This record gives sequence, structure tokens and C-alpha cells, in this order.
Amino acid sequence: MKIAKKLLLQLLLTVLSIILISGLPELIINKNVTAYFEKVKAVFIEMVRLDEMTYFNQGTERLFLNDIWGPYFYSLTILFGALFIAFCMAQILTWGTLMLPSIIRKTVKNFLTFLESLPDLLVFALVQMGIVLIYKKTGILVSNVASLGADDRIYFVPITCLMILPFVYFYKMMILMTEDEMGKQYVETSLAKGMRRLYVLVFHVTRNTSEGIFHFSKSVLWFMISNLLLVEIIFNIHGITHYMYHDFRPEMLAACLILLVIPFFLIFALFEWTIMRYSKRGEAL
Amino acid sequence: MIKKNKFRTGLLIIFGFIASSIIYSVFFDSHVRQVQVIYDENMTPIDAAPFEPSIMFPLGTDPLGYDTAAKVLQGAKFTLISAIVIGILRVLFSFAVGIPLAFYMPEKIRKALDQLLSSFYFIPLTIIAVFILSPILKEQIKMPEMEPYFIYSFAERVVLEIIILTLLVVPLLGSMIGNMMASTLKEDFIEGANVLGASRWRIFNKHVMPHLLPKLVIVWCQQCVQVLIIFTQLGYLKLFFGGTDIDFNPFMADPPKSLSNEWSGLVGNYYTYIQANPAIALGPILMFGVAIYAFQLIAEGFQIHLQTRNVKRTSRDKKMKQKNETIRVQQKFEFLQNRGA
Repeated sequence: MKIAKKLLLQLLLTVLSIILISGLPELIINKNVTAYFEKVKAVFIEMVRLDEMTYFNQGTERLFLNDIWGPYFYSLTILFGALFIAFCMAQILTWGTLMLPSIIRKTVKNFLTFLESLPDLLVFALVQMGIVLIYKKTGILVSNVASLGADDRIYFVPITCLMILPFVYFYKMMILMTEDEMGKQYVETSLAKGMRRLYVLVFHVTRNTSEGIFHFSKSVLWFMISNLLLVEIIFNIHGITHYMYHDFRPEMLAACLILLVIPFFLIFALFEWTIMRYSKRGEAL
Repeated sequence: MIKKNKFRTGLLIIFGFIASSIIYSVFFDSHVRQVQVIYDENMTPIDAAPFEPSIMFPLGTDPLGYDTAAKVLQGAKFTLISAIVIGILRVLFSFAVGIPLAFYMPEKIRKALDQLLSSFYFIPLTIIAVFILSPILKEQIKMPEMEPYFIYSFAERVVLEIIILTLLVVPLLGSMIGNMMASTLKEDFIEGANVLGASRWRIFNKHVMPHLLPKLVIVWCQQCVQVLIIFTQLGYLKLFFGGTDIDFNPFMADPPKSLSNEWSGLVGNYYTYIQANPAIALGPILMFGVAIYAFQLIAEGFQIHLQTRNVKRTSRDKKMKQKNETIRVQQKFEFLQNRGA
């Protein structure tokens, strides 16, 4: 119960800070503090009565909540898909890499440092060019490189673009943390007992690194939401950031961000709760 | 000095960029060469702009024939110096926030504040930055007179952009640095110092700072990387450092221009050529990649230096080793009893 209360408070604060921040452009345009507070108040009222919020689409005024669900779940699919694939691939490859001798691991790590420093825009550009190149050479269109309007949905390209860098981040972090964990005594003991390396890695070490990875995944997600904006603009995807960017009103920004934040917030709360229970049980033993 | 190759390479790249860019502007007045058509010796035109990368144009030219490499060189100082400045400011501000968090707050309140500040994890930086910076950086237009204007002057725009990009991360970074300090304060030697009667200032100055400073250097490198990434993203969204010059001409409007050839402007201007002339579009982004890689190398080299700095090879060790080796070379064989021990 205590945890639920804390989480609720945190969620409220997140929403509040989003509303406060979304009023800032007003302050900058008018250089007037009272105008800022009035704008914040207006945004707040809009948020409370979200079901009456309207926006303009091709000259006609439409209800926001009627139109948003499709693009919203589309964006969530892309984000979650990318996060999930990146995480799973990184985990499997980490297990594989940790079985290799340390010289190869060192090369892998150096290569990952190099990959880490690719700007995300470069990754998107390379994916875009790569698909066109494959099409030119072989005539096989792997996927559409741009979506044509609201009803045309592409999944392969945006998910690939969004997952590459998080995958690299996860992979490097996991290797570093697992190597750190492998030096601990319980690993030596279990290896000495004759357990296989892979078994120890998968069942014991991974459990102990999971908490650190979980905290790290928060900052990965932070980075991915920003990238979602770019991906949706580059590939002309009609997702939630389309509304955010093309409308450009503080109300819209606040509404979209709050909608984006809530599912992730719930999922992280769930994970945190499980990990806490899990590690507490471990302490009792 | 730090003798790690990674560290040196990174530092060399960054300073090389900045120094050559400054030299270029001081001695050559940042003249960007423009070649629109190349002729052979019979004065027949053989090629026209945009040129692909070659020995003459390392990064190619844009459709107007301006040398991209020269533009990149001209813009390097603005982009890199501002990234470094924003990185330093971020670390300094967060440090200032972290001190009271670690020193004057009881454990419980600090944990609670940490929880509150972590709500910032869900507010994506780029999106917020785009929304806040748009009115500052984009040229506006007065409607009846059709007269473009900026709300703020050039200096104000630069200062505001730096301040906004700094303040947006202070909550997260501040709580992170506060936690670092608090975990140092829990070490045994701090208790020892307390027992011996050290004042708070002395503990801060003599015990916490030596531990914290190297970590701050690494945090600074990471922040510089983050700033550079944000610059690319803002550049793609046509928000250039120092302001975006928009042509409001209803007929044949020029594309948005950057006021100085800084890199995010180049990224934003050239990205549209990605399919037709990939070389033009990729050049500036690649340069960002090189700069980011350099900062990563600095951070990694510094980290290795921290881990191995106490394992120093003294000059005596070296002499002994040399001596042993010379003896070994001189003798054709050696008695086991002479070796070692």
C-alpha cells in the first residue's frame, strides 16, 4: 500500500512537471511571468477536461480523444517493440559473448564504444539508404521507407531504427555489469563445484545484474522517446508525435506527453515491485 | 600526465578540431571556396557541382559548389566550444545542487527527493528542448508588414539556448551527483575524520573532493556527448545554434539557413540530399560522430587511468629491468642461482 501511495505521488509530480514545462514557451515569447502562470492554468484546466479538448485538422475542429487512440497505440507498439527486441537481443548476445575468451571480449567492447558514438541521425540515414540500396541492387523491397498518410502503417523500418542504439547501449552495459559480477566469489564457488559456466551465467549472474539493468533501462527509454519524434518525422509516420509536432500548442504537448508517460510509468512500477519482492526474498535466505 | 593512448587520441581530436578551426578563421578569414564547374585543360566542362568526395573536396560540395569540408572546419569551433561549455555548466550546476542534497539533508529526505526528481526520467529532453527553443531560435514574421525578426538578439539567443540546455538536465544530474557524494560520505575514513574533529568544510575539501573530481570528469564527457547528440537532433528539426534564418518569401523561398556554419545547421541544411547525394548529407553527421567518439575515448581513457594510476612503474623498477636484460644479453647462458631470488 505504501508503495502504491508513493507511485501515485510520483505520477502526479511527473504530470505536474510536464504541465509546468509545457507553459514555458509562453514565458519566452511574451517575457511575462503572469502570462506564463495563466497559460499553465489554462493547460491544467484542459488536462482535467481532456475529453473536451479539440484540435484543428485540415481546417475542421475535431475532438482530440476521438482521433488519438489509433496513432497512440501505433506509437506505443513501435516503442515497446523496439525496447523489447533490443533488450532480448542484447541479453542473448551477452550470454554468448561471455563464453568467449577475454581477448575477443575486449575487441567486442572496443567496437561497441565505437558503435555507441554513432549519432542517432546517422543510424536513421544509414538504414534509409541501406533499404534503398538493397532495392536498387536486388529488386527486393524490404519495407516501405516512408509511410503514406494516416492509414498506411509501417513497422519494420521504425522499429529497426529505434532499436539499434538501445541495443548497443544495453549490450555494452550488460557485458560490463556481468563481467563485474563474474569476478565475485559465489561464481568461483559454483564453477569450482562443477556447474557449467553457461548455467551459472544464465541462472545466477543474470538475476543479480537485473536490478542494475532495470535502472539503466530508464535512461535508455528517456533517450528512445526523444528518438521517436525524429523517427516519426523522418519516415512520415502518423503517430502521436505527429500531433505533438504539427499542432505545437502547449496543451497538445502536455496531453501527448502525459499519454506517452503513463504506460511506461505503470510498467516500470510493476517491474520495480517484482524486483523488490524478488530481492527481498533473496535477502531472507 | 595521463599516458593512455585512448585519452590522448580523444583530446587530440577535439583540440585539433577547435585549434584548426580558430586558425582557419584568424588567418584565412574562414573563406569557403566555391567551385561550380570543373574544366579540363581544353576548357571543356567535365563536371558540375555538387561534387562527390575526392582529394580536391574531402567531403564533397553542396549544390551551390561550396566546399563542405571548409564549412565544417569553419563551424567546428562554435559547435564544439558550445558543447564543452554546456557540459561544464551542467556539471557545475548539478554539483551545486548536489552539495546540499548530500551534506545537509537527512537520509530520508534525500531518498524522497531522489524519488521526486526521478519523475524527470519520463520527460524526454529533445522534445521539451524543441518546444522551448523554437520561439527563441526560429525567425518570426510580423504579419502585416511581412518583416522577419527574432524575438531575442543574437547574444541573448546563444545565452538562452545554453541556459535552457543546461537547466533541463540539472534535476536528474544533480540527484545523481548528490548520491555519489552521499555514498562517499558513508565510507569508513569519513567516520575517522569525524572522530578526529574535522569540520564539514575540511571533510568536503580534503576527503570528498579528491574522490569526486575524477568522477565528475567522466560525467562531463558523457554530458558533452549528450549535448552533441541533441545538437544533431535540433539541427534536423531546423533549430540551429544561434538562430535559424528563415526565408519568408512566398515565391521560391530559400531553405532555412544557419547564421554561422555550425554543424547542426549543416546537418539540417544537407539532410534533404540524403537520397540524391548521400555524401553531402552524411559529411556533417559523420563529423558529429567523430567528435562524439573523441569524447567517449577521453572518458574511457580517463577511467582506465583511474583504475591503474596507483599501479605505477617506478624509475627504479625500469632500471632494474634494463640491467637484468643487458646482463642476460651479455651472457650466453646463465646459472639458475643467479637468476631472480
